[in-house]
Amino acid sequence: MTIINREKFLNHLADRLDQPRHQLAQHPYQPISDLPQTTLADQTPAELLATAKTHSEKIPVTFVTTAKAQLGAQLTTLIQERGGGPVLLPTTKAFEQFQLTAWQQSLAETQQVDYWQAENGRAANLKLAENANLSISFADFLLAESGTITVSSGAGQGRAFHFLPQHYISVVPQSRIVPRSTQAIAWYDDEIKAGRLGSSAIHFITGPSNSGDIEMHLVTGVHGPLDVVYVVVTDC
Amino acid sequence: MGLKTSTKPFEERIAAAAADKFATASIAQSQDAQYVKREGARSELGHWQEWRKIGQSIRQHAINYLPDYLEEFSDHVDQRGGSVFFAQTPAEANTYILNILKEQESRHVVKSKSMVTSELDLDQKIQALPDTTVLETDLAEFILQEDDWDEPSHIVFPALHKNRDQVKAEFEKIGYVGDNDPEKLARFARHYLRERFLEADVGITGCNFAIADNGMINLNTNEGNADLVDSIPETQIVVMGMERIVPSMKEAEIMDNLLARSAVGQRLTTYVTFAGPKAQDEADGPTNFHVVILDNNRSEALGTEFQEILQCIRCGACLNVCPVYRHLGGHGYGSLYPGPVGAVLSPILGGYEQFGELPFASSLCGACTETCPVLIPLHPLLIKHREVETDRLKMMHGFKDTQMKIVGKATASPFLFKMGLQFKHFGMQAFTKHQTPTALNFFAYQGAMIKNGPGLIKGWTDVRDLPQPPKHKDDFRVWFEHHQANQGGATK
Repeated sequence: MTIINREKFLNHLADRLDQPRHQLAQHPYQPISDLPQTTLADQTPAELLATAKTHSEKIPVTFVTTAKAQLGAQLTTLIQERGGGPVLLPTTKAFEQFQLTAWQQSLAETQQVDYWQAENGRAANLKLAENANLSISFADFLLAESGTITVSSGAGQGRAFHFLPQHYISVVPQSRIVPRSTQAIAWYDDEIKAGRLGSSAIHFITGPSNSGDIEMHLVTGVHGPLDVVYVVVTDC
Repeated sequence: MGLKTSTKPFEERIAAAAADKFATASIAQSQDAQYVKREGARSELGHWQEWRKIGQSIRQHAINYLPDYLEEFSDHVDQRGGSVFFAQTPAEANTYILNILKEQESRHVVKSKSMVTSELDLDQKIQALPDTTVLETDLAEFILQEDDWDEPSHIVFPALHKNRDQVKAEFEKIGYVGDNDPEKLARFARHYLRERFLEADVGITGCNFAIADNGMINLNTNEGNADLVDSIPETQIVVMGMERIVPSMKEAEIMDNLLARSAVGQRLTTYVTFAGPKAQDEADGPTNFHVVILDNNRSEALGTEFQEILQCIRCGACLNVCPVYRHLGGHGYGSLYPGPVGAVLSPILGGYEQFGELPFASSLCGACTETCPVLIPLHPLLIKHREVETDRLKMMHGFKDTQMKIVGKATASPFLFKMGLQFKHFGMQAFTKHQTPTALNFFAYQGAMIKNGPGLIKGWTDVRDLPQPPKHKDDFRVWFEHHQANQGGATK
């Protein structure tokens, strides 16, 4: 679009620093340590699952594990425990990958089920998200160290999808549990730079919305979901 | 409000802070609780000193090559379809932002917590527009707004000085019915703010870190309000201090980890987001995306001994360990940026005339320097400020300066120094009150205490015990000479 006042501004900074501009090609940032990459990197998949569970439950997040064959039934139980629909689902091929297409149809027979679809526009999707009791996302990663799921926005799953509903469930394969944010961010960085990910927003979500702003008394559900569930699919 | 949050003199601000017993107790409780959480989180991570060096190396590199990184960042924002405005002054930034609001005929602006917009006094400027409302959506900032824009008292917990009854009273003005339970108060704020989010046409956020190599903005919140601000409105305006940049998402991720552990003792902040303008195939996020990059005298620190203060990531850890902040509270500093970081940064941004007292509001204990996650030498920078004020700018005038000169001459001359030792006991006699000797005060010259001391020592005797100096014959040196003579040793 437009860039205003740049040259004068940056020349002033270069004067203050007493060095010419355009030095980065010769002086890129060189990491001084591999600590971010090596922290928790020695954990086995089973250990990562245990670490993720421990840290997620402290946040607090409801942490559930299930085999792919039982995933649909597990989701139905979680939805019922939270008062049922309206349920907001993403438009994604992940339902096929997790063999949930039949479950989708059966869920729609008992609950109000809506889908985030970009072609319906901003207002319609925001209204669905605001009215939803619950939304279900498919996460890109689960970070063991912090109990964090990561998601990226797109046509079938917008930003507010993760924040406006009262309850939030995120499904993640066990194979996508990584030690910490280092591995996830490296993947996003690669995907964006390679042009494979055109998402405008990447979210790292660590449990329910919370605040300690009144007398440092920690309360949950200030703006985002009141409660959060991670469902780890152990055979994916 | 702007950078300067009070027009009262420093002494008055201190007296007011000391009188606010709830705020003082609240800050002490907060510091103690945060100590346990922060140190626990750092200890769990392990190798904390090495992490600090990593953080320092990233921030120093970004500042050393700031013009290049800002150029790269602005190019990428442009490629994503956003606009970038470089503002030298708050006036330039405000003009640009208010023009956007006017051009888009904005009616409802929602904001997430941003200290740099407070530097701009942006809320007040928006409020002055005839047809536009502005609402702070961070719970603490919302509380302050409802209390007639009360000034913040902490970088991370701006409403730390308010108790639950005060919050309840403010919320009752806008329809709250219930008791002072923080859960219920927060739930009321959720419903109240949700309605405003959904009608908002412009969102304004700050920026934890700007990503140079892809043009994204990295935001950290525990409440999720920034995510609603950058999801729902058609227009987003990001306001960032020019130093808040990192090379790539990889470095931002490291800084986010240091920030969360240092600010509140979390492993990661609840919502960590990297976002830019809405992609074409997406439904929400800002269609109109503006980034305002503000200097506001930050460049005064570049190339000087104060450059390292620009490494700051606003975690507030230095406030949480500072014994002066513990007693003075946020309001005592009279600056948007309180505590040790504020005492270093405020004179740079606002000048010594406005904030010259702040570098002296420190015991120089060094706790701030010890805790800083990016190794800013905070207390050495406070000493440098003092040097600038006294040696370079010759700002110390008046009676105190005269006294310091007298003390300087007296301590530099052996004759005058010895004469002072001879007469110190009797010189202080008029200011001395004799207390009943007890086990506690016996060794403080048997209960003889100076009260309302004169000149330089008044500040001390107002709040601390100061024993009357001993008679010359009881001085340690005199006693030691006698003692050695009695032992048969040399006396000189």
